[in-house]
Amino acid sequence: MAEEVKKQRPPVDPNSAKYKLGKIAADAYALATEAKARGEMVGWCASNFPVEIPETLGLSVCYPENQAAGIAARGAGQTMCEIAEADGYSNDLCAYARVNLAFAKIRESKEQPMPMPDFVLCCNNICDCMFKWYENLARELNIPIFIIDIPLSTTYEPTNEEIEYVSAQFWDVVHGLEKLTGKKWDDEKFKQVMENSCRASRAWLKATSLACHKPSPFNGFDLLNHMAVMVTARGKAEAGEAMETLCREWEENIKNGTSTYRGEEKHRIMFEGIACWPYLRVTSSGLKNRGINMVTTIYADAFGFDYHSFDEMIKLYCMTPNAINLEQSRDKRIRLCKDNHVEGLLVHTNRSCKMWSGFMPEMSRQIGEACNIPVVAFDGDQADPRNFSEAQYETRVQGLAEIMEANKEVR
Amino acid sequence: MTANELFAKCAEIAQNPRAQMDKYLAQGKKVVLTAPYYAPEEIVDSMGAVPMGVWGADMELNDSKKFFPTFICSIVQGIVELGINHVYDGASAIIMPMLCDSLKGAGQNFKAAVPSIPFIPMTYPQNRFADFGAKYCKANYLTVISELEKALATEFDEAKLAGSIKVFNDHNQAMREFAEVAAMHPEVTAQQRSDVFKSAMFMTKAEHTAIVRQLIDAIKAQEPGKGRIPVYVSGILTDSPELNAIFDSCGLHIVMDDVAAQSRAYRTDAPVEGAPLDCLVKKFQNTGNDSVLYDPLKKHVDLVPDQAKQYGAKGVIFVLTKFCDPEEFDYPLIKKACDAAGIPSVQIEIDRQMVRYEQARTILEAFIDVLS
Repeated sequence: MAEEVKKQRPPVDPNSAKYKLGKIAADAYALATEAKARGEMVGWCASNFPVEIPETLGLSVCYPENQAAGIAARGAGQTMCEIAEADGYSNDLCAYARVNLAFAKIRESKEQPMPMPDFVLCCNNICDCMFKWYENLARELNIPIFIIDIPLSTTYEPTNEEIEYVSAQFWDVVHGLEKLTGKKWDDEKFKQVMENSCRASRAWLKATSLACHKPSPFNGFDLLNHMAVMVTARGKAEAGEAMETLCREWEENIKNGTSTYRGEEKHRIMFEGIACWPYLRVTSSGLKNRGINMVTTIYADAFGFDYHSFDEMIKLYCMTPNAINLEQSRDKRIRLCKDNHVEGLLVHTNRSCKMWSGFMPEMSRQIGEACNIPVVAFDGDQADPRNFSEAQYETRVQGLAEIMEANKEVR
Repeated sequence: MTANELFAKCAEIAQNPRAQMDKYLAQGKKVVLTAPYYAPEEIVDSMGAVPMGVWGADMELNDSKKFFPTFICSIVQGIVELGINHVYDGASAIIMPMLCDSLKGAGQNFKAAVPSIPFIPMTYPQNRFADFGAKYCKANYLTVISELEKALATEFDEAKLAGSIKVFNDHNQAMREFAEVAAMHPEVTAQQRSDVFKSAMFMTKAEHTAIVRQLIDAIKAQEPGKGRIPVYVSGILTDSPELNAIFDSCGLHIVMDDVAAQSRAYRTDAPVEGAPLDCLVKKFQNTGNDSVLYDPLKKHVDLVPDQAKQYGAKGVIFVLTKFCDPEEFDYPLIKKACDAAGIPSVQIEIDRQMVRYEQARTILEAFIDVLS
């Protein structure tokens, strides 16, 4: 029997974006764990909660959605979901919530450890499910909950009244956290945090926009890996530096005609929805095997917040992808499709996300018509592996590839 | 009229909402549809139109499937389905509060699927307790008013709102009293109880109050029926005749409910002192104990066992509307609270597309064995 020779991966260059971004993402958990060990209060925070608040107050926070994605990507999504289900949580609920509620109960995960919280910071600009999930955490763990309610903007742009409402809540949370933790708000530090967040966001949005080049300088699945930093650390100075490195590397790829997408980029698509974390490899290979590069997704840009004033910052938090109406959502995506020369749209009908999927069929139909591109959907889930069928995914992607191929021949 | 005659009248109205709508339209009245939850019906009433509740219907969904993925609750899908199929034709507008993710999606879909009926979203502040919540709530009521002025071609008059608030508070009071009286009379069936609540959605509140008041007197005049098993019911919607038939054939007596389409809607009155629109805002701020409203202390969780005890229920039945996130999040904690209070509980899952309820019957029959 031949002895298996495991191929050694070359060490990652410490000056590379990959190294820097990986370190920042890992440090986010390590710093929170250290803070907890020092006796400091640590929070759990919704991914699109204004990161400027905990960062300015010097509070360590962890992001349960990010943790759940990590746990799911490392294969433990189902185990965790089943723990929550045994407590009565329906398997129709968001799998991130189920994974996290299970973690809150058993308080351990070898896939992605995280310190237990002393408070939770909740924002529903992603979905209303967040409220219910965080209410339950607060009750079960007997800790305070702080919320910023950002409703769906039913008008094309958020109204002044909405911005005023959200701004008032921003300061209400600041005052509440000051009282709870004894930390003090510092306007100068806030200014610095806003600059950090904008710097990271500018670089990130610029990097994602480089997909407009043909071929794209990156494999779209890179976005899914790197965005963790934008979720967990966009207010930190090092995030901006790392994102600028990423941007430079991809610009270099453009100059050199290279890409992190291996192979010929025959087709360019937009991917809609949250990644299928338990099947990242399968979903990636299904595209790559057919020469399809996912060049853009609104999910990645969702975590870029570049603003010039407090009101603009609030407005951006009111305009995250799940907080805007159908027309604004559609137009943003049409711009992405057109800017990035997209030839097809692949929609993840995410069983976990009623908000994201609720008007997706109509919106994707309108995008398909406006951009004259085929639209194909598959069923999946962001963290529960039971809601995905590899065979269905393969068939749908094959269908999409064939339509794009035929369109090319006609054009 | 006897209690049974009045119940029959409620049943007829509950089963024929379109006939009610046609009747109002023939009288020259305008109708505004109000989707779940907490649509500001007082405003509609004050502007001379009839608010009519829309909660979908028990039916197979076809056309709405072009707009929704399968895992969205059948109530909101049903609203869009009925809109597409012209069941709501003649309505001047639909007001849809955005109090859950499914409603948010449904509103956007309704706009696209039913362009003939003006869509008026009502965005409530979930962070509603502080002044900033009140201010935002009022701003959005004003937006609804402005849209209604266009749809109804009439002007809003705040003085008239004061009158409507009184009418609605009277109705709330009557509905609460009906629930109390029905709790004392086991002969009131689950179906009759449901018909009284459901008919309220399709009548002017003044008309419905008059019927309910007569009904209360008629029930009080009756000798309470033979004891059945007292239960407390919690959920979003329990109007299915098949479900109610199971409750009745199993000998269950609903002594109180925590159902969104029933008692939850009538718990909170608007104050009457102060500017009427501010009173309406205050009403929303004071509304709670509901899975769809932000509930930092999870008072809803404790309400269920507390009320179940208060009304002498032997058990709690959760009627879970499939794919309802807010209810599905509250359920595990409510169950835990019921267990801690020593109150047996059971969950049955329903959907407006359900045809066979045999599983629900089996679960309830097994539950009755536990209770007895």
